[in-house]
Amino acid sequence: MGQDTQTRDSGATARTPDDRVEDARVENYLQVLGISKDFDNFRAVNEASFSIRKGEIFALLGASGCGKSTLLRVLAGFEVPTAGSIVLDGQDIAGLPPHRRPINMMFQSYALFPHMSVEKNIAFGLKQDGMARAEIADRVAGLLKLVRMTEYARRKPHQLSGGQQQRVALARSLAKGPKLLLLDEPMGALDRKLRGEMQLEVVDIIERLGVTCVMVTHDQDEAMTMAGRIAVMDQGRICQIGEPGDIYEQPASRFTAEFIGSVNILDGRIAEDYPDYVVIAGDALETPIYVGHGVTGFAEMSCAVAIRPEKMKLSHDEPAQKYNKARGIIQDIAYFGSHSTYYVRLPSGFVMRTILLNAQRWAAEEFTWNDDVWISWGDNSGVVLTS
Amino acid sequence: MRTIAASIAARVPRFLREPRSLLIAVPYFWLFLFFAIPFLIVLKISFAEAQIAMPPFSSILEWTGEKLSINLNLGNFQFLFEDELYYTAYLNSIRIAFNATLLCLLIGYPMAYVIARMPPSRRNVFLMLVILPSWTSFLIRIYAWIGILKNEGLLNETLKTLGLIDAPLHILHTEAALYIGIVYAYLPFMVLPLYSNLVKLDPRLLEAATDLGARPWQAFLQVTLPLSRAGMLAGSMLVFIPAVGEFVIPELLGGAGTLMIGKVLWQEFFNNRDWPVASAVAIVMLLLLTIPIMLFHHYQARELEAR
Repeated sequence: MGQDTQTRDSGATARTPDDRVEDARVENYLQVLGISKDFDNFRAVNEASFSIRKGEIFALLGASGCGKSTLLRVLAGFEVPTAGSIVLDGQDIAGLPPHRRPINMMFQSYALFPHMSVEKNIAFGLKQDGMARAEIADRVAGLLKLVRMTEYARRKPHQLSGGQQQRVALARSLAKGPKLLLLDEPMGALDRKLRGEMQLEVVDIIERLGVTCVMVTHDQDEAMTMAGRIAVMDQGRICQIGEPGDIYEQPASRFTAEFIGSVNILDGRIAEDYPDYVVIAGDALETPIYVGHGVTGFAEMSCAVAIRPEKMKLSHDEPAQKYNKARGIIQDIAYFGSHSTYYVRLPSGFVMRTILLNAQRWAAEEFTWNDDVWISWGDNSGVVLTS
Repeated sequence: MRTIAASIAARVPRFLREPRSLLIAVPYFWLFLFFAIPFLIVLKISFAEAQIAMPPFSSILEWTGEKLSINLNLGNFQFLFEDELYYTAYLNSIRIAFNATLLCLLIGYPMAYVIARMPPSRRNVFLMLVILPSWTSFLIRIYAWIGILKNEGLLNETLKTLGLIDAPLHILHTEAALYIGIVYAYLPFMVLPLYSNLVKLDPRLLEAATDLGARPWQAFLQVTLPLSRAGMLAGSMLVFIPAVGEFVIPELLGGAGTLMIGKVLWQEFFNNRDWPVASAVAIVMLLLLTIPIMLFHHYQARELEAR
């Protein structure tokens, strides 16, 4: 956030070429260019490219085996990429061994040294640099305070809880003041309740120090909570990069739409193609779908429309609108406390998911099993997917 | 009724009520039968006096009239401290066993390390190669070393044929031959516990170390080495303890000058037929060996606690 205002402020004063070079350095602090990694006949990472602003938290999100961890290991230097280059703060680091990269990693399940105390673990990186003992002690004390582990300085890792181990791991990876921090499934080893607290705490610490960070996770909630931007990965490729809201609201592909959150995907073809709207006809619905944005396509092209369940309205009476509605029978209801998901079977056999917040349930109409209902949605609720 | 049943149940020893404790009792029974009883017999003999009789030692317990007298003869132990022979033999045994253990560690560690770093399919082949020689009789393998090391043996002949030496190297019946024999015979006992320790080492710990700026050798010194301490200790114990009491190898390969306690024991039993002194020698050796064993246990308990 701070970065944005700063850039805007300096934009008002006279800009020199040096400023612009500096801007480019901040904007493209880490550049990953066409990284590929092959393991005997298997391409784990396929031409991944992205660039990260200084101080940004960037998440690689994908299912297991999508190549996200391999990409992270390439950044750390544990894997040598088959092709591509990595530029960090203007320096090409692809050829450097891990111990010479200004990058530190917080490992999945932490990899704390079991034979060393908390403070020795944190001091490990500083000791390798040959830092003076008194200076190391100062730095370690500061880091212990930062992660609120001062009382545990002399404990061994096995005497700590999962959350405490994670704090130590974070402090250890921040100790050397890395230019880039890597987090590998940072919350993977924590239980659900602790996860939520730690996500915010970790983000808070990282942002306070202004560290640039790349994290890997399979958990979309974690990516959305912690990261400023997300790259969705599938089969070694990056499918889409964007802010959490963009990725959720404007999925670029069927994979992203289905991977992030829950979605109804209706197959069809473009019936009417105009610059500012399209009408899509499909087999699932009796009426065509009207989408209030143009698409790059042509008439009769086959495509799909993705509609999020929470963007749908449920009613007993037929809505007045001409498009974007369907009648059906409530086949199933899943109660989630804060909301309920209704599974509505349409005459075509397609089962549409809609979500109602449970606060609304008492106020508005009541719906129960086997009710005849109408589903409707707005012009801007659907997203056309052409891939 | 219930109280009666309960009181009967309470009278049955606990280990009979729980089948699990019976299972635990098996190793204790084994130890009792094959360690405690023989040890007590040897202990008893060590306090007796040598006699020319069958058995060749006096009885400790005597029933004379109405008196039961226990005659403990401490002279055998006193004798061990008076005669320099025993003192030298103990010291020699410990020195040779210690050096041999160190050599085994220096040779065995790289072997275990390399095997543990191999792909799993190849590990078993190499572990097999380490164990395989043990399938031949120990005695035959030590005898084979005579054939290799003697003056006109395989080694000297090969070196001569290659033109590297003119006169044969005198290795057999020296301390060098003794070390070769002990290291050769006991190396598997060092490699196997070290291997099973090193193979469990989480590779991510080494990655974490290099990630934090440690060069590969620094990571080895600061992570691998301290974390394999339990394996080094276990291997060292398995080599050191039998090496101290080793008899066959010094007898066959060692020189006349290197006196080890195993040989002294043999001489007391079979040449002097002085069973009480021989028993005292054995008891003192056992007491000497309990020190490293207890140290080992102490470390192992601490290591287990740290898991």
